[in-house]
This record gives sequence, structure tokens and C-alpha cells, in this order.
Amino acid sequence: MKKKLVCGMITAAMVTALFTGCGSDTAGTSAASGTSESSASAASDTTGSSAVSDTQGDSSETTTFTVGFDAEYPPYGYMDEETGDYTGFDLELAEAVCELYGWQLVKTPINWDSKDMELNSGSIDCIWNGFTMNGREDDYTWSYPYVDNSQVMVVSESSGISTLADLAGKNVGVQAASAALELLQSEEEGGQKALADTFAVLQQFPDYNNAFVELQAGSIDAVAMDIGVAKYQLKTRGEGFKILDESLNSEQYAIGFKKGNTELCEKVNEGLQQLLADGTFEELAEKYEIADMVCLEAK
Amino acid sequence: MRFSLILSQLSQGMGRTVTIFFLTLIFSLPLGLLISFGRMSKNRVISSIVKIYISIMRGTPLMLQLMVVYFGPFYLFGLNIGNWRFPAIIVGFSLNYAAYFAEIYRSGIESMPVGQYEAARLLGYSKIQTFFRIILPQVIKRILPAVTNEIITLVKDTSLAFSIAYAEMFTIAKQIAAAQTTMIPFVTAAVFYYVFNWLVAWIMELAEKKFAYYR
Amino acid sequence: MIYLEMNHVKKSFEDLEVLKDISLTVEEGEVVSIIGPSGSGKSTLLRCAALLETMDSGDLSYLGQKAVTMENGRSVYAKPNVLGKIRENFGLVFQNYNLFPHYNVMRNLCDAPIHVQKRQKAEVEKQARELLAKMGLVGKETAYPCQLSGGQCQRVAIARALMLNPKVLFFDEPTSALDPELTGEVLKVIRSLAEMHMTMVIVTHEMSFAREISDRILFMDQGVVVVEGTPDEVFSSENDRMKGFLGKFRDM
Repeated sequence: MKKKLVCGMITAAMVTALFTGCGSDTAGTSAASGTSESSASAASDTTGSSAVSDTQGDSSETTTFTVGFDAEYPPYGYMDEETGDYTGFDLELAEAVCELYGWQLVKTPINWDSKDMELNSGSIDCIWNGFTMNGREDDYTWSYPYVDNSQVMVVSESSGISTLADLAGKNVGVQAASAALELLQSEEEGGQKALADTFAVLQQFPDYNNAFVELQAGSIDAVAMDIGVAKYQLKTRGEGFKILDESLNSEQYAIGFKKGNTELCEKVNEGLQQLLADGTFEELAEKYEIADMVCLEAK
Repeated sequence: MRFSLILSQLSQGMGRTVTIFFLTLIFSLPLGLLISFGRMSKNRVISSIVKIYISIMRGTPLMLQLMVVYFGPFYLFGLNIGNWRFPAIIVGFSLNYAAYFAEIYRSGIESMPVGQYEAARLLGYSKIQTFFRIILPQVIKRILPAVTNEIITLVKDTSLAFSIAYAEMFTIAKQIAAAQTTMIPFVTAAVFYYVFNWLVAWIMELAEKKFAYYR
Repeated sequence: MIYLEMNHVKKSFEDLEVLKDISLTVEEGEVVSIIGPSGSGKSTLLRCAALLETMDSGDLSYLGQKAVTMENGRSVYAKPNVLGKIRENFGLVFQNYNLFPHYNVMRNLCDAPIHVQKRQKAEVEKQARELLAKMGLVGKETAYPCQLSGGQCQRVAIARALMLNPKVLFFDEPTSALDPELTGEVLKVIRSLAEMHMTMVIVTHEMSFAREISDRILFMDQGVVVVEGTPDEVFSSENDRMKGFLGKFRDM
């Protein structure tokens, strides 16, 4: 019996360590905090987690820059229709920054639910993928915001819903672990918990494809999402949907680094400034049709 | 053609799915045998440790186990887990499946009549010879249907690899579906799993037939 | 020469005392039958002799080699490698054959000589064919046990035991699992072995058979040897339990 108990406790401790580490910068993560990109010597250090790590597998001097993203999040990060490669506004921007510094970009599609574990454990260097900073200001070290985003409601054109108030008693969908969900659950200033309370159900779903099928099928009446995503979805899906004029809030996208990793963050900020100055940033924004949303300012 | 494009994009993921599948089998089948010995060990300490191991592996979701295996080394020991993602998947799957296989082996071994052991002992076979020449071949025949079940489950479980962000076939199907706002990748994925499992079932049936020469 | 010697053997299963101080000596070439009612301990005695059961007290030796000795009133077994050597002296034929179902007849016979005794394959196979001919099993070399009748299985099992050239052969109720019309063929084989002066200890319910082939018969009941002697002595015994036992057989 005693042995069982001990083993059970060890397991419990492991699982607890896993989840308390998640989303905060406390227990267990201190070993890796404060490390930075920089030299190859740091990169070859296997016990510490280096922000910019040595190239996986080969021992060349190239440093890698590992971007974690949700590959189901067009137009910021998704799989290209023709080539099957991961692409999008954010990833091309990251590529451009890497070119400036001679880094090798590693695109790592992550499970959005475990993004904090990926970041804290050093598996990825940053989350760069339409990542809303509002409400998460203290959880990460943030780059300058570069996209003005708002959370909106997408409804079926024939639904007769035209204002947020019309959503009372309706079924509303939202992506699990998304900024929209956080917003709808937030009771703080600017939060929309009061609105969410008027819904019949706030349904969480794993990806937008699911949500749109449900919307089409009539099992949910509205889906909350980022405006950029909403525009992309409406463009590719054609007629039948509309975005409500009233938005849930206004917020900004920025690149999230592990809390305390200011050195790498600054480096990326500098890179973004250069790209803004030489016009690359604007070019990419136009390519992905989000030129009216970008907000990166020259410093 | 749009469909052939989707297929070619999925094929990379299929390769990864098949790799997870075979590597898991290669490691978990022998490991399961070892664990079943531990489970049947007369040494109380060993058998109870193994029992707890099996109960944890069977009693918690594989998705969670994969996360523990992958993130655990960092959260517990602060190790760099940069190159650990794929090995972690194989380790996680193998540890989990070995637990199930161990119980299947045990059921087969314990169902063997004691007379087979006694006959072997009288003929002078050593314990190892008895196991590998007399017992194991008969055990394999007995457990094949149960093993087939597990292997088919494994084919479908490979999609859990995405819980630690490994882009196997189903993950890529989801990504294509998201980018192209279409359900075709899911249909393709379903067909892939079905054909894969049909092949598995067919091969296992052949194996069962091969063992059908005796009762 | 004394091939098998057991002295003062005692054996209990939990609280049940199955063997109460039994001694048995078997000389070279002797055929000894053990008879008695079910539960009398005769199979247990045989299994103790074959080292399949461990005795609680008493000693055991084959051809003078000690397998079990007495120390402070308890049985002490020799080291595994010594016991392994001693096992080569005897073979055992089980009630339910215990053939290896996944091996065909030839492999059942030849696997142990080739892989345990490390003998030459050709020589082993030659011996196997000779034995199968003696057993009336020519043409069954590639058959699997499940394709054979009970009587044929038991003859294969006897041949398998003989392949290792044992000094003593034990039979544990060799015909009890057989249909009555199949017992004859097995008894015939055992009879032919007796004629070749094979040393045998047979636990059996076949009274007339035991009487016919045995040099000596032990009648056991409730864990003790009640009557022991030549077949004629035993079958004409005035012992009440012996008479009661034989009476039940005549009624059947």
C-alpha cells in the first residue's frame, strides 16, 4: 500500500509540475528564464534552454529561430494551397526578420492549447501568429504591436441577427483557448462576460472549419473570432455570412516571447523597424490584404 | 486537380503516421513481453511496481502521457527538449502500448496448461528454452486476435501525436482543411485510416491462418 | 542394481496429508505397478519421484545419485545442475499426453534430443523412425497431435519419452483419458516394453493389466502402502481395504 501511495504521489507531482508551469513564470521555469539568443556556446549548452538554439541535428554555426504558430489560422499562419508549405503574413514577416540576421527560421505548428508549455520549455522561441496581447500583457514579453485587430461576430446572412443584442438566447461558438474566448469570459474593464451571459450557450470548438460547418448547419448562430480571420473565411467561403458591424472590442497583435526574454524581443523589434523602414512590412500587409489593419509604428 | 494536390500534401503526413505506427510496434511488442514478466514476477516489489505502471498507463489518457513525456524533462529537470519531440512521441506511444501488450501477453501465458511446462521440464528443456520453444509460439497463437485489436487502435491513436505538435497525417489534414476551407482532407484521412486498418486486419488474418495448422 | 530408491516420503497439500511415510525401491528391469482408489496419493508419489512435486520429508536417489536428502527431518533438494543430470535418468508419460501441439510428431520426438541433448540430427531422426515403427505409427511423422486419436497421441508421448533413453519410465494413468476401445493399443506398447525389460513404474486403474505385466504391485490407500508384493500375493490378500477395492472393480 505504501509503495502505491508513493508512486501515486510522484505521478501527481509530475502532472502538477506540468500544469503549474503552464501560463505562469513561476515553478520550474526559472532554470530557463533570462537566457537569451546570442552565441553558439550558449546554443550548445544542453542543460539550459537557449532562446535561439543551435540548428536541430547538424552542428553548423547557424542559429535557428523557432516560431510557434497555429497552422489553422489563416491569413497569419496556414498551409499553402499549392506547395503545402506553411505560410502567411506572420510567417513571411518572421522569415524577413531571420534574413536580416542570418538566422534559420524553424516553423513549428503547435497545439494552441499547450502554447505556454512549448514556450516555457524552450521548444519554441516565440509565439508569432495573430497573437492578441490585450489581457495577456503580464504573461509574456511582448514585441511592439503590429496589427490592430478586433474581435467580431460572424453570423449567417439569413439569420436576421444584426446587433450584438440580437444574440441573446442564441448559441455562440468560439475557438478554445482563443483571445475571443478570453474576452467573452473576462469580467474586467472592457470584458464581454455580461454579453456572453445573454447567450443560450457559449460553445467551444477546436478550429474554424468545424465552427463554420456548424454555422452553416444551423447548430450555432454566431461565431466570435478575430476580424482578420473572419475576412479570410468570408472571402474563401463566398456568400452566406456576414460580420456584425458592432465589434466586441479592439485589440492588438504582437509577438509573444517568454517572460523575461527581452534580449531576443528587442532584436526582433529592431528587425521589424528595419522592415517597416524599407517597405517590406507594407508590401506583405498588402499581399495578405490586411493593409488597413497594420499598426506598426516607427520608433 | 485539387484533390491530387491535397493528396500529395497529405502524403508527407502519412509517412510520419506510418513511421510512428511501426516504431511503436517495434519497441512496444518486446517491451510488453518484458513488462508481462515483471507483472508475473514472484518478487512482490517488482510485480507491484509493474502493476502500478500498467494501471497508470491504462488509467490516464495517452494524450496526457505524451505531454508528460515531452514536457516532463524540462519541468522536472530543466533539460533542453529541443530535439526531443519525435523521440518523445515514440517513447510515449511505446510505453503506453507496452502496458496493454503486457496484459495481453500475461493473459496468454497464464492460459497455458501447466502440463506443457511439466512435459518440457521432463524432457530437459531449460526455462528459457521452454519459454521460447514451447510456450511463446502457442501464446502468440492465442493472443493474436487481441493483439490485432490493439494494433488497429494504434493506427487511429497516431493522431494524438499532435498533442505535442507533431504534424502527422491528421494534423496536416486539419491544416489543409483550415487553409482551403474544405472537408475533402478529412474524407481523405478517413479513407487512409480505413485502408491502413484494412491492410492491418488482412495481414493479421494471414498470420492467424498461418497458426491454424494446430489446435 | 537399484535404479530408484525413495525412503520415508511425506507430502502435504496445505492441511491434507497425501503421502504418509512411503518407501519405494525399484530394481533394474523391474515393472512396478501402483494401484489404489482415487485420492490415495499414488499419482503424487509418482510426481514426487519425477521431481514434479517437492516432498516435505524423505529422500530420493537414482542409481545411487542423491536427488533429495534428509536434513533435520526435512527434504533438501540437490543443486539445479545436479537435478538436471538426474532428470536424464527417467521419463514420464502423462495421463493427457502433454504433447506439444505446435510441433508435428517428428518434431515432438526430435526437438529435445537435438536442442537439449545436442545430438546429431540424422542419428536422432533415425531413432525416431525406429521408435515410430515399433509404436505402429509409420506414416504419422508429419501429423500434428490434433490430427491423431487419443491412443495414437499416447503412443507418440511414450516414444517421445523413450527418445531420451531413460533408465526408468513412469506412467501416470496412461489409459485413463482414453476411450475404452483405444486402451488396448497403448497397453500393448507398454507390454512390449516390459518384454524388453524396460524399468517401469505404472500408476494404473487397469487391474488385469497390472496383474499380468507387473513384477510387483503396491496397493495404496489414504497415503500409505497397504499391501505390497507379487501380483498373486496382492490379489489374494486378505486385507479388508484391498478386498473392498477389488470388490468395487468386480462390480463395475
